[in-house]
Amino acid sequence: MSGMNEIILEAKGIYKSFSGVPVLQDVHFDVRKGEVHALMGENGAGKSTLIKIITGVYSKDAGTIEWEGKPVEINNYQDCQKLGVACIYQELSVIPPLTVAQNVFLGREPRTFGLIDYAKMNRMTQELIDRYQFPLHPATLVENLGMGQRQLIEILKGLSQNSKLLIMDEPTASLSGKEAETLFHIIETLRSEGVSVIYISHRLEEVYRLSDRLTILRDGQNAAVLNREEIVPKKVIATMIGKIVDESAGSKKMLHSDDTAPVRLEVKDLTDPADRYRHISFQVHRGEILGLGGLIGAGRTEVVRAIYGVDKAKSGEVILDGQKMNPSPKTSIAAGIGFVPEDRRSQGFIPLLSTTRNIALTNYDIIRKKGAAVSYADELAMSKKAIKDIDIRPADPDKEVGVMSGGNQQKVVLGKWLMRDLKLLIVDEPTAGIDVGAKNEIYEILENLAKQGVAIILVSSDLQELIRVSHRILVMRKGDVVKEFKNEIVTQSRVLSAGQGILDEEEAQA
Amino acid sequence: MSGEKKTFSVSKYSKLIILAVFILALSILRPKAFLTVGNISNVLWSVSVIGIMVSGTIYVFLLGGIDLSIETLCGLTAVVIVEVVTHMGNSVGGVIVGILAALGVGALAGLLHGFVITKFKVPAFLVTFATQSVFLGLSMIITNNKIVSCTKPKLFTMIGSTWVSIILMVIIAAFSWFLLSRTVFGRRTYAVGGNATAAEISGINVAKNTILCYVISGLTTAIGGIVLASMTQQAMASTGSGYTNDVITAGVIGGVSLLGGQGTVQGAIFGAVLMGLLNNGLNLMSVPSTQAGLVKGIVIIVAVAFDAMQHADQSRKKVRKVVKKA
Amino acid sequence: MKKMKQTTLRRFISLGLLLVLIILFAILGGGLFFNADNFIEIVRDASVVGIVGVGVTMAIITAGIDLSTGSVMALVAMTMANIYAYTLWPIPVMIILGILVGIAAGLCNGYIIGYLHVPEFIGTLATMGIFRSLTYIIAITDDNGVIQSQPMTVYGFASLGYAAGYFYLVTIAMIVFIIVGQIVLKFTRFGTNVYAVGANKKAARLSGIKVEKTQLIVYGISGFCCAVGGIFTAARLQSATAAIGDGFEFDPIAAAVVGGVALSGGSGDVVGTLIGALFMATLKNGVLKLNMNTAYQYVIKGVIIILVVMFDSAYKAHMDRLAKERGAKEGAEE
Repeated sequence: MSGMNEIILEAKGIYKSFSGVPVLQDVHFDVRKGEVHALMGENGAGKSTLIKIITGVYSKDAGTIEWEGKPVEINNYQDCQKLGVACIYQELSVIPPLTVAQNVFLGREPRTFGLIDYAKMNRMTQELIDRYQFPLHPATLVENLGMGQRQLIEILKGLSQNSKLLIMDEPTASLSGKEAETLFHIIETLRSEGVSVIYISHRLEEVYRLSDRLTILRDGQNAAVLNREEIVPKKVIATMIGKIVDESAGSKKMLHSDDTAPVRLEVKDLTDPADRYRHISFQVHRGEILGLGGLIGAGRTEVVRAIYGVDKAKSGEVILDGQKMNPSPKTSIAAGIGFVPEDRRSQGFIPLLSTTRNIALTNYDIIRKKGAAVSYADELAMSKKAIKDIDIRPADPDKEVGVMSGGNQQKVVLGKWLMRDLKLLIVDEPTAGIDVGAKNEIYEILENLAKQGVAIILVSSDLQELIRVSHRILVMRKGDVVKEFKNEIVTQSRVLSAGQGILDEEEAQA
Repeated sequence: MSGEKKTFSVSKYSKLIILAVFILALSILRPKAFLTVGNISNVLWSVSVIGIMVSGTIYVFLLGGIDLSIETLCGLTAVVIVEVVTHMGNSVGGVIVGILAALGVGALAGLLHGFVITKFKVPAFLVTFATQSVFLGLSMIITNNKIVSCTKPKLFTMIGSTWVSIILMVIIAAFSWFLLSRTVFGRRTYAVGGNATAAEISGINVAKNTILCYVISGLTTAIGGIVLASMTQQAMASTGSGYTNDVITAGVIGGVSLLGGQGTVQGAIFGAVLMGLLNNGLNLMSVPSTQAGLVKGIVIIVAVAFDAMQHADQSRKKVRKVVKKA
Repeated sequence: MKKMKQTTLRRFISLGLLLVLIILFAILGGGLFFNADNFIEIVRDASVVGIVGVGVTMAIITAGIDLSTGSVMALVAMTMANIYAYTLWPIPVMIILGILVGIAAGLCNGYIIGYLHVPEFIGTLATMGIFRSLTYIIAITDDNGVIQSQPMTVYGFASLGYAAGYFYLVTIAMIVFIIVGQIVLKFTRFGTNVYAVGANKKAARLSGIKVEKTQLIVYGISGFCCAVGGIFTAARLQSATAAIGDGFEFDPIAAAVVGGVALSGGSGDVVGTLIGALFMATLKNGVLKLNMNTAYQYVIKGVIIILVVMFDSAYKAHMDRLAKERGAKEGAEE
C-alpha cells in the first residue's frame, strides 16, 4: 500500500514522573499511516501514562510529539479532535436512550432551519456503516445493544470526525468472543482504509492476530519494537518480563505446598449465572496461600466474590472445614471467612468513619456490650491493637480513613479481619496503588496469617507479587482454570504464558 | 463525642459560639421580652415538636435519603389520635389506644417507605412525595375536611403542655442519641450511609437497616403529631403544615449532611433550638413568620452547597492522589 | 419498528390509565361527567399543569426535579399584582416583567443545581420556601398590613382567562407549549443534550456537552413555563393572592410520572406529560362531579404515582435482566 511507511504520529524522548518517581524515561513511540500498532507491557510499565500524554490528559516533562511530521502540543480532548485522534475509552461514553446516529453525531447534528435533519443524519451514519461494514443500524436505540456494539459506536463516532488515528485501550475487556471477532474484522477494514490504530492489550493472541508492529514498554522504558514477523509469544513474554529480572527475587521461585495439611476450603463445580466463570473446583489447605493468576477479566474476582457470597453462583458448592456453606457475607463472616475486595475505595471501607469504626464494623459480635451499648473501651482497644499489630499510620484511632494514604487504608481493611478468629482470608489485588514499603508489610501480614494456619486466596495481577507470596498458583483464563503450578519452579513467564493461553511450556520457557 | 472525627469537634465549638452570640444578641436587643423564664420555656416548647421529629428523621438523612411526607404524616397521626380520643368518649383509655394507633400509623408509613425504597430502588424523595399526598387525603377523609377539637381528658392535653413536651423531646432525643452513638445498629447506620457497598460486604443487611431507619422516622413523626395535636387541642388535615421544611432545616443547621453518612442527634437538636430561637427572635423583632421561609431556604442551600463543595474537594484530592500513584 | 417498542408500550400504558379513569367516571357519573362541555372543562383544568409540565418534564429528563413551580407561579403573579396596583404601565409590560421574574427564578434554581451542585430535590425544595416567602414579602397589604388579594379585572388581562371559540386561551397556549416543547426536545441539539445529560452526565461531558449550562437553561425554561402558568392562573381568577399555586408542584411531577417520564432521567417526552396532565385533571373533575370528598383525589394521586413508579422500576429491572441474559447467551455461542 502506498504511504504505508509514512509516520503519522511520533512521540520522541518522552519523560514523565509523578512526585519525583519516574514513570516514563526517554520513551519513543511512532505510528505509521494505516498500521495497527500494539502497545504492551506489565501493569505499571507506563502504557496508560504514555497514552494519556499523547491524548493531552497529562502534560509531559520532556520530549516532543509530532503529528504528520510537525511538532504539536496536545492539551485536551478538543486538540485531539482537531488533529484527528480519537480515543475509545474503556468506560464508554455512549448515551443509551439515544439512537446510534444520534450518538455518532452528538453535538454535530446536521440541521436545516435550526432543526435536526434526522433523515440526513441517518443517511450519513449509514454511509459510514456501509463503508466500514459495521453490524449496526442508524435508528437503533443504543440501550437495546450489547457492550460490543456500543463500543463500535464509539469507533464510528471517531470515524465520523475523520479521525486518522484511533486509540483503543483494552477494547475486548468486556466483550464476548463473538463481539471481539466483529471488532477485529472492523479493525482490519480500518487498516485497509488507511486509518491507524494504537491497540493496547494484555492479550497476546489479539496482538498477534492484529498488529503490524508492537511496542513493548518495561519499567517506563522502551523494551522493544517488534515487526509483525517478530511477534512470537515467547519473545514477547521474555521482553515484557525482562531477562535481568528473571534471576532476581520474586520472578522465579520453587513452590512448596503441603498436601497433607487438612483441607480448609473446598470449591466444587462453581458456575456463574452470567457465564463469567464455569465449573471451578479447587481446594485450599490450612496455612496455604493459594495464588489466583490470569489476565484482568479472566473471572478471578467473580469466583472469589461468589465464594464469600457477595454475588451468588448459579451452581456449585463451597465447603469450609467440611461444612457446606450457603455463602452470604453475613454467614461467611460468622464462619470465619474474611474478604478484602478489589476496589478499596468503593467497596473496602467507609471513608467518613474513623479507623476504630471501620475496624470494628465486622466485629461487633465479639466486642463486649453493656446492655445494648457497645463497649467503647473494647472497641477502642481493638482499634489500638490493630494499629499496633500492623502499624497503621497515623496511629490515631479517631482518624477518618478517607483521608489516609492508600497503604494505610488497605491496612485498615485488612486489620478488621485480623481481629477475628479467621479460617480463610480472601484478598483481591491487595496492593494495587500502594507504595513498596506498605506492600512488603502487607505480604508479611499474609505470610504470618498463613503460619497461624489461616488459608489464604490471593488474587493478583502483579506477577512478582503472585510468585513471591503464593505457595501454589492457579491460573484462570476466560472463566476456566487452565493451569496449576504446584511444587515446581515457577517463573513470571510461565504464569503469564498460561494466562495468555500458551500452555506449551517448553516453547514459552525457551 | 468520641468516635467522631476531630474537625467535627471544632465545628461543635463554633456551634456553641453561634448559640451564645444569638442569645446574647437577643438579650441585648430585647432584654425584657427575651430573658424571661416564660419566653425561654416558650422557645423550647415551640421547638419540641421539631426536636422530636428530627431525632428520628436524622436516620433517614444519614442514609442520604429524605422524607417529604413529614408534615402530612404528622397531620395524619394528629388526626388519628384526636379522632380515637373523641370517639372513645374522651376517656383515658381512649388516649392510650389513640397513642398506640398513631404510633402504628407512623410505623406502617415508615415500613411502606422503606419497603418501596429498598425493594424497588425508587428514590426516597419520590416515594415520600407520593405518600405525602396519600396521607393528606387520608386525613381529609377521616376528618371530613373539618377541624376536630379535643380538650379532654387531662391526660391528652397534658402531653403537649410546656414541660411535658420539652421533657418528651429530651427523652426521645436522648434515646435516639443512645441508639445512634452507642449501639451496633447506630454504627451500622453510619456505615450504610457512608458506603453501602462496603457495608454490604462487611455483612450488614443494608435493606433491613434502611427499612428500620424509615420506621424510626415514621415513629418520631407520629410522636410529633401526637404532641402537636395535644398542644393545639385539635387536629385537621393541615396540622403539621410547614414542618417538613423545618425539620430538614433543623438537621442541616445542626450539621447533618443531606448527602448521607454525617451528623449527630445532638447536632440536630441544636439545629432545632437555634431555629426556635431564630423564629422567636424574628417574632420579638416583629418580623412576620411568613418571611422565615426565606431564611430557612437560604440556610438549606448554603449548607448543602458547602457540603457538596467539600465532597467535590475530597474527590478531587483523591484523583490527584491516584494520578500521582499512576 | 423494534426500537420503538419499549417507549410505545409505556405510552399505551399512560393512555390506558387515562382511558380506564374516563370509563370509570362515565359509568359512575353518566352524563353528568360524560359530556362535551365537561371535557372542554377538563382540558382547561389540565392546561396550566401541561404548560408548567413542559419545563418540569425537561428537568426530570435531565435526572432532576423542580419542586418550586407553585411558588414561582405565585411570585410571578404577585409581581404583576404590584405593577397592576402601583403603576400605570401597560398590561403587556406587566406580563413581560412577570415572565422575566419567572425566568430569573428558574435560573436561580439552575445555578444552585448546576454550579453549586446541590441535589435537585433539596435545592428546589429550599427555593420553594424562598420564593413563597418572597411572595408574602411583596404581597399587597391593606393599611393595617393585612395581606390582601389583588383584583386584576382589567379586560386586557382578564381576557386571557376567556375562551376563543370552543377552547380557552390557556388551552391553546398549552397546545403551543406542548408542540414547541416536543420539537425542542426531539429536533434540536439542545433537546438531544437534555437527554444525554439525564442518561449519563459523565458520558455527556466526554462528548463535549456543557452539562452545567444545559441544567441552567432547563431550569430557566421551567421558570418561564411557571411564569406563563402563573399568568393564566391569575387571569382566570382575575386576581392574585400570595397563596396561588400552593401545593401545585405536585401535579406536573405526577403528570410526568404517569406519562412515562422516568425520574432516573434520559427518557420521556412532553406528550407523555400532557397525557398525565389530562389524567390528573380528569381525576379531579370526576371526584368533583361524583360529589366525592376531594380528599380521594389526593389518595388516588399518591397511590397511582407509587404504583407507576414501582411498575417502572420492576419493568426496568426485568429489561436489564433480559439484556444480561442475551449477553450471556451471545458469549456462550462463541
